[in-house]
Amino acid sequence: MNEKKVLEIKNLVKNYGTKGFHTTVLRGIDLEIRKNDFIAVMGPSGSGKTTLLNLLSTIDKPTQGMILLDGQDITRISNKELSKLRRDKIGFIFQDYNLLDTMTLQDNIALPLSLNGVSGNVCIAKARELGEMFGLKGHLEKYPYQLSGGQKQRGAACRALITDPEIIFADEPTGALDSRSSKDLLGSLKMVNDSGRATILMVTHDAFSASYAKDVYILNDGQISCRLSKGADRKEFYDRITDMQASMGGDFS
Amino acid sequence: MSMMKLALQNFKSSFKNYLAIILSLAFTILVFLNFQNLIYSDIFSGLGGKNKEYIDILIQIISFVLGCFMFFFLWYATNVFLTKRKREIGIYVFMGLTNQKIGRMYMIETTMIGISSMVFGIGFGILITWLFQMILLAISDITVDISFQISPTPIFVTIGIYLVMYLIFVIKGYINIVRSSVLEMVSASRQNEYVRQSSFFLLLKAVLGLGVLFLGYYFAIKEGGNEVMNHVFAAVVLVVMGVYLLFGGFIPFVFQKMAGRKEFLYQKERNLWMNNVIFRMKKNYRTYAMTCVLMLCSVTALAAGFAMKVRYESMVHFRNTYTYQILSDQAGLNKKIEALIEKDNQISYGTQASILNLDASMIDTRYQYRNYSVLSWSQIKELAKDAGMEFELEEPKDDEIIQISHLYLLSLLTDRSHETVSINGKIYRQTVDTNIPYLGYLQEQISFYMVNDEEYQKLRPFGTELYTYNYRIEDIYNFAASQDELDTIVSDTDENYTARVMIDPNSSEMEWIKVLYTVCIFVFMVFILASGSILFMKLYNDAFEEKERYQILKKLGILEKTLKKSLSRELLTAYALPFFVMMISAYFSVHALEKMMYTNLFAIYLISVAVIFGFFLICYLLSVSVYAKNAGVEK
Repeated sequence: MNEKKVLEIKNLVKNYGTKGFHTTVLRGIDLEIRKNDFIAVMGPSGSGKTTLLNLLSTIDKPTQGMILLDGQDITRISNKELSKLRRDKIGFIFQDYNLLDTMTLQDNIALPLSLNGVSGNVCIAKARELGEMFGLKGHLEKYPYQLSGGQKQRGAACRALITDPEIIFADEPTGALDSRSSKDLLGSLKMVNDSGRATILMVTHDAFSASYAKDVYILNDGQISCRLSKGADRKEFYDRITDMQASMGGDFS
Repeated sequence: MSMMKLALQNFKSSFKNYLAIILSLAFTILVFLNFQNLIYSDIFSGLGGKNKEYIDILIQIISFVLGCFMFFFLWYATNVFLTKRKREIGIYVFMGLTNQKIGRMYMIETTMIGISSMVFGIGFGILITWLFQMILLAISDITVDISFQISPTPIFVTIGIYLVMYLIFVIKGYINIVRSSVLEMVSASRQNEYVRQSSFFLLLKAVLGLGVLFLGYYFAIKEGGNEVMNHVFAAVVLVVMGVYLLFGGFIPFVFQKMAGRKEFLYQKERNLWMNNVIFRMKKNYRTYAMTCVLMLCSVTALAAGFAMKVRYESMVHFRNTYTYQILSDQAGLNKKIEALIEKDNQISYGTQASILNLDASMIDTRYQYRNYSVLSWSQIKELAKDAGMEFELEEPKDDEIIQISHLYLLSLLTDRSHETVSINGKIYRQTVDTNIPYLGYLQEQISFYMVNDEEYQKLRPFGTELYTYNYRIEDIYNFAASQDELDTIVSDTDENYTARVMIDPNSSEMEWIKVLYTVCIFVFMVFILASGSILFMKLYNDAFEEKERYQILKKLGILEKTLKKSLSRELLTAYALPFFVMMISAYFSVHALEKMMYTNLFAIYLISVAVIFGFFLICYLLSVSVYAKNAGVEK
């Protein structure tokens, strides 16, 4: 716990609707993510998972509270700075891959880095290295339509990692994958996390996916209702998560 | 009835998207209507002579060209509707509509678009007829009183032609929809596969394209005699084919090779826009090629019009070398004629020369003329001195001959050397062909050959010797004053044959050429406008397809500035490629014209390229801002 704080959320509140008719989606969330954490946020439908991620990824603005990313309060900076922040400090993995179909996988992976003005050779080296790490070595010259869902998602993960962001937000990354592909992806994410290359915040409804994380936060009714930490064994962690889900009831999807 | 409602709703909601197409269609109709109106109006009937007839033929030809253009433009526009609609129509299939019903809906909708374009086009067309005629006459430098007049005939003709064409394409679209399978309709938008074409096939196309294009250029500038016509035809076909293959083969090949070199590709926005260009090229290369050919045609047409105008002006100048020319079998009339002219006018210069009139049957050349005369070298040298004309012709050797011809409005020959002329059985080698007006207007009527003095003497017994007396007066507009005096010496008897020619500097015999030039300018502008708007429309529609991609990029946190930079590079390529290919090709076509017309057209080439550049720049800037909005990069 001596690692540097990457993300700090203090009393985050989000209301929707107009005066008098608002619904509170997030009711004061406090969360700290330190470097090299791998956190999964779980929760039933309507618990505020997506809202939380939207706020963190600066797509939406909170009603109250602070979000400190790398020491900077992202709720109080200009749009221009926000864009820069997104570009430089955050990596995204989406449920539906979001690769560009007009370019090869390697071009997709290298895109964020090359757009930042990094030299071509560095881009190539990094894209290849990440590709290899994620088991995509033979697929880099292929176009997205030639790849399976799992390969695409691993490619998307490479793209998120290539700029060495402070934190990676993964929104249901296994949502569209079969169990085999999910396993491959999660294994890869765990590996980069273990090797100290990435801090990950993953939102998921799937206990299996969550069991790859180091810590799991359960979000319920706009609040973090409990936190589970992984022990030595992933299977045992998985059992604990499912037990917790069962005890909470509700629809985890 | 609900079908009608649905179609109407579709039309309303997509009106903004189709605005560009509607306006372009309307513009085409507007231009077509205005040219039709010229045929039916009587503004040119005041010009007299053959003018009205020629101008009518000219406008008919232009109308035909415009008609063809409208046909292809409609084809293009309706295709845009079809692919765009087919995608959305896929949804209706799942709602349980049959292909026939969807086809009918498409027909209703497209008809609405067609009719609204027609209303705009005809409406504005009628409004600007007066303006159009005024501009036309002003540029042509013709003074005719015009009033606002439009008869219903051109309107009906325009509407009729347009509707028939439109109907053809609407029915074509209907059949297309009825025949297509559900799967195909749904996936009409999902054909992004096979982005990269096979390298071998591309290379083949690239090599073939370059070969064909350069062969076309070669034919365009190759010199020749009678075979020039075939060369020109070959050049046109080859260049058009070459341009298509260039955009379908060579250019994508180069881009793919560049994108394959990753150190090169991963330079800031290049990764993004270059990949997009490759992707778009596959879909759009026909459009790029088409605009390129269209611009090439317009530049060539403008240059041809200009060359003809220049030619016309020098022909007028040529004719006015002498105000009066007297042809007689009597020698030594000069003093008498001078005295007659000087009663009313001042003589600026006067010349005389004898000509040996030969019977056409004695002469054999490649081109047969009606009248042949032979001149002697020293007499013409003397004549040139008197008239202050340049004379740099070497005295021909015994077997050499110089042709003294006139200016042609349009000639295809680019190489007149190595001609031989046979006179009375003796073969002469033609060394020079000059069109300096030593004998003025007579050169247009008689084919003159110049030989050395000895040869002239040898030929004398075989022909009739006539004398020409040529005068130019100080005030050429006062030519009519001496008419009566000169008529006193005109005679047509066996003992005395004397004829006179009088040149009226105001002659409007060839006014139609001025109109031709103006029409060429219009055609140039219409085609340039069309090619610009075709590209603009294409990009306008593409932008909607790009929306998803730009959304992804925004989600990834890529700055709006970066995206705009990337898309402006992409659009720049889309405009610049056809422009450059056109610029190079037009250089050759204008050069070919230069050779045929003996006119320096480089200035007109530069001007037209500059005009296109300016217009494309405007289109490009507009495209960038519209594209950014349509693609959702900018709110």
